[in-house]
Formats: sequence, C-alpha cells, structure tokens
Amino acid sequence: MKNNLTAQLSFGQRMKMFIQKSPARMAFIIAAILYLITIIISPASLNASAIGSIIMLTLLLSFASAGQTIVLIGGGMDFGVGAVMSSAAILTTTIMNSQNGHFVELLVVALAMGAAVGLLNGVCSVKIGLPPMIVTMAISNVVTRMQYVLTQGSPMGYAPPAFISSVTSRLFGLKFLPSIVLYALIIFPLVFFLLNRSRFGKQVYLVGNNPVAARLNGINVSRVQILTYVFSGMFAAFAGMLGAAYMNAARCQIFDEYAYNSLIAVIIGGTAFSGGVGTYTGSIAGSLVMVVLSNVLTAMGLAQPMRNIFMGLIMILLLILYNREKKVRQ
Amino acid sequence: MLQSVKRAFLRFRRTSAFAGFILFLIALALNAALQGPASFFSIKSINTLFAKNTPFILVAISQSLLLLAGTMDVSCGVQVALVNVVIIMTGQEWGLPFGVCCLLGIGAAVLASIACWVCCSVFRLPALLASYALTYVIKGVNVLIMDVPQGKVDKVFYKAYDSQIFGIIPVSLLAIVLVLLLWLYVKRTKFGSHIYAVGANPRNAFAAGISPMAVQFKAFLLKGIIVGIAGVCITLMIASGNPLQAEDYGIRSLSACIIGGLGFGGWGSVSCAVFGSSFFVLIQNSVYYFFSLLVKLFPGFSVTSYWQNFVSDVIIFLGLLMTIVTAKGQREALKQGIVRQFRRSDRLYDQPARDGKEGDGNEK
Repeated sequence: MKNNLTAQLSFGQRMKMFIQKSPARMAFIIAAILYLITIIISPASLNASAIGSIIMLTLLLSFASAGQTIVLIGGGMDFGVGAVMSSAAILTTTIMNSQNGHFVELLVVALAMGAAVGLLNGVCSVKIGLPPMIVTMAISNVVTRMQYVLTQGSPMGYAPPAFISSVTSRLFGLKFLPSIVLYALIIFPLVFFLLNRSRFGKQVYLVGNNPVAARLNGINVSRVQILTYVFSGMFAAFAGMLGAAYMNAARCQIFDEYAYNSLIAVIIGGTAFSGGVGTYTGSIAGSLVMVVLSNVLTAMGLAQPMRNIFMGLIMILLLILYNREKKVRQ
Repeated sequence: MLQSVKRAFLRFRRTSAFAGFILFLIALALNAALQGPASFFSIKSINTLFAKNTPFILVAISQSLLLLAGTMDVSCGVQVALVNVVIIMTGQEWGLPFGVCCLLGIGAAVLASIACWVCCSVFRLPALLASYALTYVIKGVNVLIMDVPQGKVDKVFYKAYDSQIFGIIPVSLLAIVLVLLLWLYVKRTKFGSHIYAVGANPRNAFAAGISPMAVQFKAFLLKGIIVGIAGVCITLMIASGNPLQAEDYGIRSLSACIIGGLGFGGWGSVSCAVFGSSFFVLIQNSVYYFFSLLVKLFPGFSVTSYWQNFVSDVIIFLGLLMTIVTAKGQREALKQGIVRQFRRSDRLYDQPARDGKEGDGNEK
C-alpha cells in the first residue's frame, strides 16, 4: 500500500518528502557533497589540519546555534547571539589578559552577562509583545555600542596560553582532532538533555507548537519563552569565550556575523521558523553545511563580492527547500 | 470652529499615527530646547536636517507600504546603495546625462524590489529571512559594479539639492512631499484598500476576490520607485558613489515604522513611518547637541562619538518599548470596542492579549 503511494508521487515530490522527513540527514549529505566539490576543485585541501579547522569552526558555530535552536523551537528568534559572543570575547581577553588561571572568574562573569542580555531580550519580546526580531536587534545594537564605549574602540589583552591550547591544540597528536571537542563533550549532552530529556524541553516544544494549548495545560508560557532567551544568551557567551581563544585577540563586533550564520544553520537543520519543530542534531549538521560551504567558496577562489552573491543565493535556495509558507489558495 | 478642531483632534487621537506623533513632538521639543529655538528654527538648520535625512525618511515610507501589505524588505538599505552606484557608474563609464542615469538607477531599484517580491510572494519564503539573504546578493552586485568609493556629481545638481525654493522650502523636502502625494493618490484607488485587506489577512482577501500576489507586486513596485528616489537623493547628498553605504537603513527603517505605530499588516498608515523616522532623526540630532552642551557647561569634559551612538541607540530602544505599550493600548481599545458591540461574554475582557508573534501575519 505504502509502496503504491510513493510510486504515485513524482520524483520532485519524493525528493521533497525525503528532505523534509529528516533534515539533519539531508544536511549531512549536502555537507558531504560540498566537501567532495572542495576536494575536486583543490585536492590540496584534503589534509588533516584542514579537516581539523573545519571541525573547529563547526563546533564553534554549533555552540552558538545551540541557544538559537532552543529559542526557535520555543517560537522566538534571537538576533543578539552575535553581539553577546563579541562581548564575551572582549570580556575574555580583558579579564584573563594573557594570564592563566582566571577561568572560573571569567566563566561566571561571561555567563552572567549572557544571561542578563538574554533576560532583557526575553522580557522585551515576550512580556511587552514586540516582534522578537526587532527587539533582539535593537538590544544587540545597544550591546554593540556598549562594547565601543567600554573599550574605547580597541579592546585590550590577549587570551592566555593555557586557555588557547585547551581549544586549539590537537588531541593525541592527531592533526584533525582539535581539543575543542572536549568542550563539545560537555555542551552536546547538556543541550540534548535540556531539549529531549528534561521537563523544560518538553515545555519548549509544546509552547512553540501551540501556545494556547500550552497555557491551557498549566504551563507558564512567558516564563518558558523568557528562559529560552536566557539559555541562548548563556550558550552564546560560552561560544564567545571559546571564540576568543581561537582568535587569540578580540575586537569589537568580531563575531557579529554569527547571529545570522547561526540562524541559517538552525534553519538548514530543519528547525521550523514557526516553532515547535526541530532538533539539535539538525543544527549541528546545519553548522557543518555553513562551514563547508564557506570552504568551497574559498577553494573556488572567489572574490568577496561573488562570495556574497553565492552565499545569498544558496540561502534563498535552502529557504525554498525547507521553509515555504502554506499556499493562500488551498 | 473650535468644535471642529476638537473633533478633528479626537479623530486623530484614534488613528494609529497618534503615538508616533506624540513621540515626534517630544523629540522636536527636545531638539529645539537643546539646540536653542532660534538656531533650530533657522532656515539653514532646517535645510540641513532635511537634506541629510530625506533618503532615510523615504526608505521608511517605502518600508511602511510593504508592512501595510503584510510583508517587509530589510534589503532596502543596500538597494539605496545600488541606485547610487548605478547612477555614478553609468554617468562615468557611458557618459550618459544625469537624468538618464537617475532613471536607470530607479530601474535598478525596481528590479531589486521585484526580485524580493519573487522570493516573498511567489516562493512564499519568510519575508525577513529572504530579504536578509537578498542583502548579501545585492551587496555583492554593488561591489561588482563599483569596487571602491569613487565618482562625482556635477556641482549644479548637488547645489540645487542643497538650496531652497523661494529661500524657505528645502528642495529635499519636495521629494518627500512628492512621494506623500503619490501615496495620497494611490490610497484613494482600489489598490489602496486592497493593500489593507491583503495585509490584514491574505486568505480572507483571496476569498473576497483579491489576488494577494498581484497586490503585493504593486506594493513592491511602488516601493522600488520610492527607494529609487531615495537613492537619487543620497547621490545628490554625498555627491559621489559608495557601494557599501546605507546598509543599516533597512533594519532602522523597520524599527522606525514600528516606533511610529505600524503593526504588521493591515494596521496603520504611511504617516506612522514619517513620524517614526523623524523621531529617529531628531533624537540623533539632539543627542549630538546634548553632548556639545555638556562640553560647553563643564570645561574639560570630553566624550567620544561612541558615547553619542550609545545614547541614541538606547533612546531608540526605549522609544521602541514605549510605543508598543501605547500602540498595544490602542489595539486593546479597538478590540474591546468591538466586543462591546456584540456583548458576547465578559470573559473576553480578561484574556491576555495575543499579538502576532511571527510578525508578517501570513501564518495559519
């Protein structure tokens, strides 16, 4: 019976079904194809340290998009990820100032900063009823200006050597395994627990899917939604700390593009714009696609304007594949 | 006479533009007080204010058109830069007269708008994300056409832009008035009411025999023309070409519209955008004068431009918060008024307000 049904569908429809059934798997396939193209274009890019840097950037982006995933599933949107990451990076270099052993201090300050910005985002977009995109963008503008005011435009200090090596050194002498993987061993299970195994995760899915039903079930909808923003701010702050270690020094607005990149990565991973649907596996796969895509464009030797054009067109293509709205006429 | 004025005021109070108008008045008073009324209301200062900010106000007006039709376009900013680049480069490379270059520039803006329409209406992508992706594409095209800032405009033209008619009316104001007259005409046509219908609920509009796609196409077309005029203005203002300017106009015009009291789709009017963007402009102006006043009052006090940017962004953010509270109050009043007409049940009063959380009103 089922076979009959699939046989009746056209190739395009079957393709669409396959994509929409498991966006995460599809994203991994796209990433593999893109990587294959990279290798064909420039065979030199197939070496251990290049793979290592792909893993590095993918993990960094996937940490940043962890919070974005939670917020999107809960039915919101967070454009403040980039500003929080940049601020956390500046905090890292300022507090640590190339001396080892301020890690706990930094962790507390950075996470508190992220949580505070997240709380502001959440309260303004949920309680006051502003469209989340506008309010998070306005707040991230304020946060960015704050970076300039507090640092006078040029942040001081560098990340300390121990912290840098805890992110960028290679494990067991293997060139393709950066030690940021160790952080992933903490973050990934944490996010999976939050989304799939905790009461909060279930509530996020329900709230994103149908806020009215969630409210009737006795869930405090606005509290859950505000909490998603707080988590997003904290994950972004953590990603910013690691990013500072990767970059060694920080400047204002260093990670601002992560706001948009993380959003696109999450959407490639199959998290619906309207909330209630999505997985973190998908977001990791989406991050991989974004990083490999930028690698391909570099390998093709495209200049910056052409890269921009390609990036935009590919995003539109991906949106067409995943995120079309329903027809007006049904 | 007094009665009719009072009635007109009451009618105006109920419109969506009222909150934006109040904010605009506050900003105007603040700016005039900080700058000194005599200096602020001088012809020169008003002329500078208009000449500098006409492009932004025009972009906000075009954005408000789209918001009324239930979509949006954050790539307006780079489209303005596109017009600028096209005008300068066609003049420089092909030696066309300035008027023809301007027409070509407006044509480019219309093409970019139609590209955005294809993404938003034909492919039915979320307008925000699709137009953000288009920002990348158009930015790339801009840099392809002109790689570094260059070019110049004849002195006659930019002098004319900076001058006043009869010594009072700034020429740049004419562009705004022209666009508003265009809108006043369009509003009276059938298309004017269709925009509101489609913005409020495309499905119902379709059921009533209006094609949402066609209406949005016309809205995008109109928006392209207005953005084109904004691009001409910015070319005259800076009198050269720069492929990477005005990028933040897109998102700033969106928040200006919301400050002015526009909701997403079917609610509000173009005057909201005018008041909202004027609020933006005046606040930035008064923050500048505020800091120069501080410097004058306390000798040895010095601030960087970072502080100015920070304070004006904070004020804009606060303005955003404030208007939504008032606009929500308006909407609440509207809703309760409707409920009272039918007297269905009193329980509806204490239901929490549910605003469109997705933004573009196309969901469900």
